[in-house]
Amino acid sequence: MNILEIKNLVKDFGGLRAVDTLSLSIEEGEILGLIGPNGAGKSTAFNCIAGVYPPTGGKIYFAGEKINRSKPWNLCKKGLARTFQIVKPFSSKSVLYNVMVGSFVTTDKTSVAKEKALNVLRLLQFEDKKDERAGNLTIAERKRLEIARALATEPKLLLFDEVMAGLRPAEVDEMVQIIQNLRHQGITIFVIEHIMRAIMALSDRIVVIHFGKKIAEGSPQEVASDENVIKAYLGDEYVVS
Amino acid sequence: MTRQNINRFALILVGVVAFGLPLVLRSPTYLHILILLYLYAYLTSSWNLVGGFAGVLPLGHSAFIGIGAYASTILSLQYGISPWLGMIVGGILASITGVLIGLPTFKMRGAYFALATIAFGEGIRVMVENVDNLGPLKINGPRGLQIPPTNIGFVNYMFNGKEPYYYIILVMLLGILAITYFISRSKLGYYLNAGGEEPEAAMALGVNVARAKLIAMAISSFFTALAGTFYAQFTLYIHPKSVISLDFSFEIAFIALIGGRGSIAGPVLGALLLRPVSDFSRIYFGATLPGLHLIIFGIVLILVMIYQPRGLQEPLTRVYNRLLDKIFGGTGKKEITHEYS
Amino acid sequence: MIYILEDAINGVLMGSIYGLTALGLTLIFGVLKVINFAHGSLLMVGMYAAYWAIILTGVHPYVALVIVAPVMYLFGYYLQDIVIKPIFKAEKDVREPITVIIVTTGVWYILDNLTLLIFGPTYRNIQDNPLKGKMLEIGKMFISVPKLWGFVTAVITAAAVYWFLQKTRMGRAIRATSLDREAASLMGINQFKVYNVAFGIGTATAGIAAVTLVPFYNIFPSVGVLFDIKGFIIVVLGGLGSIGGAILGGIIIGLIESIAPQFMTATWTEAIVYGLFLVVLFVKPSGLFGVKYDW
Repeated sequence: MNILEIKNLVKDFGGLRAVDTLSLSIEEGEILGLIGPNGAGKSTAFNCIAGVYPPTGGKIYFAGEKINRSKPWNLCKKGLARTFQIVKPFSSKSVLYNVMVGSFVTTDKTSVAKEKALNVLRLLQFEDKKDERAGNLTIAERKRLEIARALATEPKLLLFDEVMAGLRPAEVDEMVQIIQNLRHQGITIFVIEHIMRAIMALSDRIVVIHFGKKIAEGSPQEVASDENVIKAYLGDEYVVS
Repeated sequence: MTRQNINRFALILVGVVAFGLPLVLRSPTYLHILILLYLYAYLTSSWNLVGGFAGVLPLGHSAFIGIGAYASTILSLQYGISPWLGMIVGGILASITGVLIGLPTFKMRGAYFALATIAFGEGIRVMVENVDNLGPLKINGPRGLQIPPTNIGFVNYMFNGKEPYYYIILVMLLGILAITYFISRSKLGYYLNAGGEEPEAAMALGVNVARAKLIAMAISSFFTALAGTFYAQFTLYIHPKSVISLDFSFEIAFIALIGGRGSIAGPVLGALLLRPVSDFSRIYFGATLPGLHLIIFGIVLILVMIYQPRGLQEPLTRVYNRLLDKIFGGTGKKEITHEYS
Repeated sequence: MIYILEDAINGVLMGSIYGLTALGLTLIFGVLKVINFAHGSLLMVGMYAAYWAIILTGVHPYVALVIVAPVMYLFGYYLQDIVIKPIFKAEKDVREPITVIIVTTGVWYILDNLTLLIFGPTYRNIQDNPLKGKMLEIGKMFISVPKLWGFVTAVITAAAVYWFLQKTRMGRAIRATSLDREAASLMGINQFKVYNVAFGIGTATAGIAAVTLVPFYNIFPSVGVLFDIKGFIIVVLGGLGSIGGAILGGIIIGLIESIAPQFMTATWTEAIVYGLFLVVLFVKPSGLFGVKYDW
C-alpha cells in the first residue's frame, strides 16, 4: 500500500508559488528519490509533508490518514521522521543524549531510551562516539547523528533532506550503504539529494521537479535519459560525483 | 573511589554540615542570613526549571511568590486554615496562573517573552496594590497584610526562634534540588533541553516543545509559591512591593544566570556567591553607600555574560574536579555522562 | 466637556514626549534586535546631565540640548562598543541574542545605583526655569507650555531621525543592517560600526527627551524605571523599529493616561496600560506599524 500520497500539493509564499500541483506516491518499503535544480521546491515540499509549513492547497496522506495540518511532533509519533538539510544537533549534549531524545518517542523511561539509543548507534556503527559532545563532531559525523536521531524514533517513513551534502566521496558511499541497510529494516525512504551517484544508486524510483512542478518520474535510467530532465539541468551547477 | 562516589560523599558531608550548623552557630543574625541564603537558592532553583531548562527568560516570577504568600496568609488570617494547607492552595493557584501566562507567551521569541513576563508581573502587582477587598477576601492594597505572632506551633507555621525556619527552608531547598535532579534525568528534562536548544529539531523528533515548557512552568510556579508562604510566615508582613516586585524577580534571575542556569548546581552556587555580597554590603555600607550590592551584581552579571555565559558553575566545576584529582588521583578529565551536561 | 478636550490635548502633548523617549528604544531594537533594558537609565542619565548643564550654566533648558545631545551620543556609542559588542561577537549566529538583554539589565542596575550612590535619592527639579508651570490659554483651556515645547521637539526629532535613515549613507547602512545583518556586512557595511552609531543615536534621542522633561519633571535616580516600562509598551504598541509608530504609540499612552483618570483611579489606569500591552503582544506583536518579523 502507499505509505505516502501527495495529491496536487501547492505551496505559495506570498506571490511566489514554490510547489505547483505536485502529485506523487510512495509504496511501502521503496526508496523514492526527489531531485531537481536548486530552488526547485524540494525542501519546501518536504517541509509541507513534515508539518513545518501548512500547504496552500492539495492533500497529503500518510498511511491512509490525511495529515495536511498536522504538527511535526504528532507526525513523528505516527512514524514520519525527517532530517534537516542544515543539521541541527543539540550541540552542548553528547551523541547519546541526542539520540535518546528521539528514543523517548517510544518510551517514558530513561533507561529504556538509553538502551534503544545505544542499539541505534550500534546499527550505524557510531557507538564509539556516544559520549562525544555533538558540537565537536565533524560534518560527516553530524550527518550520521542526524540519521541516528531520526532512526531512534522508530519511523515507518524517513525523509532525508540532502543528507549527503558536504561529504567526501568515500563518506557518500558509506552513507549509501547505511541507507540501503535501513531499507532492510522495513523503513520506507524518501530522499532529496543533489549527488547523482548516490541518488542513482539508492532510488527505486525518482521524481524530478523544476520550478515546483513535476517534470519526470520513473526509474533512475528512465529519468537520466528523459529529455525534459536534461533540458532542465543543462548548464546548471549539478554535482556529478 | 570513583568520581561519582566521591561526589556523593561530598554531598552527604555538606548535608550533614548544613543540618548541624544551627547547633554550632547560635547567633540569630547569622541564622537569619543563612535562612535568606537558602530561600534565594530555593527560589533560583525553582526559577531554573523554566529559565534554565526551558531556555527562556522569565522576569516576572515574583508574582508567584506573591500568590503563594497572599493565598496562605488570607486563608489563615480570615478563615483560620493552617498555612501549610494554604501553602498548597497557593501553589496550585500559582501553577494555574503560570500555565495561563505561559500559554500565549511561550510562542513568543526571547525578548518578547521577557517583556511579557515583566508586564504580567507588574500587572499583577498593580492589581493587588489597587484592591482592598476582593469579595470577602481582605487584601488591603498597598498596606499589605500583617501576621500576628500568636498561636505558636507547627500547625500554625509559627515558631519562636530561627532554628525551625532554618530547617524548613533547608528541607525545601534539598527538596527542590532533588526534584530538579530527577527532572533533568527524565523524559521531561531531555525534552526541555532539546526544545530549548534546537526547537525545530526537537519538534521533528516528537517533542511537543510548548507543552514541555508549560509543564515546567506549572511545576516551577507551584514551588515558587511555596516559598511565598515561607516568606510570609518568616517575616510576618507582606505587601505588594515586597513580594511582587520587579527587583525580586530580577534578583532571582540574575543569581541563576551568574551561577549558571540550566545546571543544578548553578543557581545554588550563584546564591552562595552573591547573597553574602548583598548582605554584607547592606550591613556595612547600607547607610553610606546605598545600592552598592546592586552595582556589584550588575558588574558581575556583565562580566559573567561576556566571559562565562554559561555561568560560573562551569569554571568552578573544573576547579573542583582538578582539586579532587590532586587529592585522590584520577584521569584529569571529567567523564562526560549523557545525563545533563 | 471642555475639560476632556483640554485633558486630551495635554495628553497628546505628553504622549509625544513619551514617544520621544521611546524613539531610541525602537531604533535600537530595529537595528540590533535587542531590547535595551537600560534605556530608561540612559534617559535618567540624560536628565541628570541636562540638570547639571542648566544649573551650572544658567541657560534656558533647551539650550542645554547643545551639550546633552552630543554627550549622550558619545555615551551610547561607547557603551555599545565596550560593553555590548563583545557579547554580540560571541553570539554572532544567534538571531536574537538573549544574553545582550541580560547585559543591558546589568547596565540598568549599575547606572541607577551608581547615580543613587553619587547623587543621593533626593528629588531634584529646576525651580526657576523659564518654562516651569507656564500655561497657554486657548479659549477656556490651559495647555501646558513645557509640554508644547516637548511636542514640537518630539516631532522635529522624529522627522530628523527619519530623514537621516532615509537619505544619508549611514542611515541606509543602518536600515540594511536591520533587515539582514549578514547580507549587509557582505556588502561592505561594518555592522559593528552601524550598531555603535545606532546606539549612539538612540541614546542621543533619549538625551533630547530628557531635556524636554527636565523643565517640569522631577529628577531622581529611579526615574528611568517608569519610562523604561512605558517605553517598552509604546514600542510594542507602535511596532518595534517604526519611528512613527513610537510617536503614535506614545500619544496613545499619553491619551489614556490623561483621560482615563476621569473615570477611574490612577493605578487602575496603570493596569489598563499593562493590559493593553499584553493584548497587543498577543494579538498583533508587530504593533500598529511594525515590520512583520517571522515570530
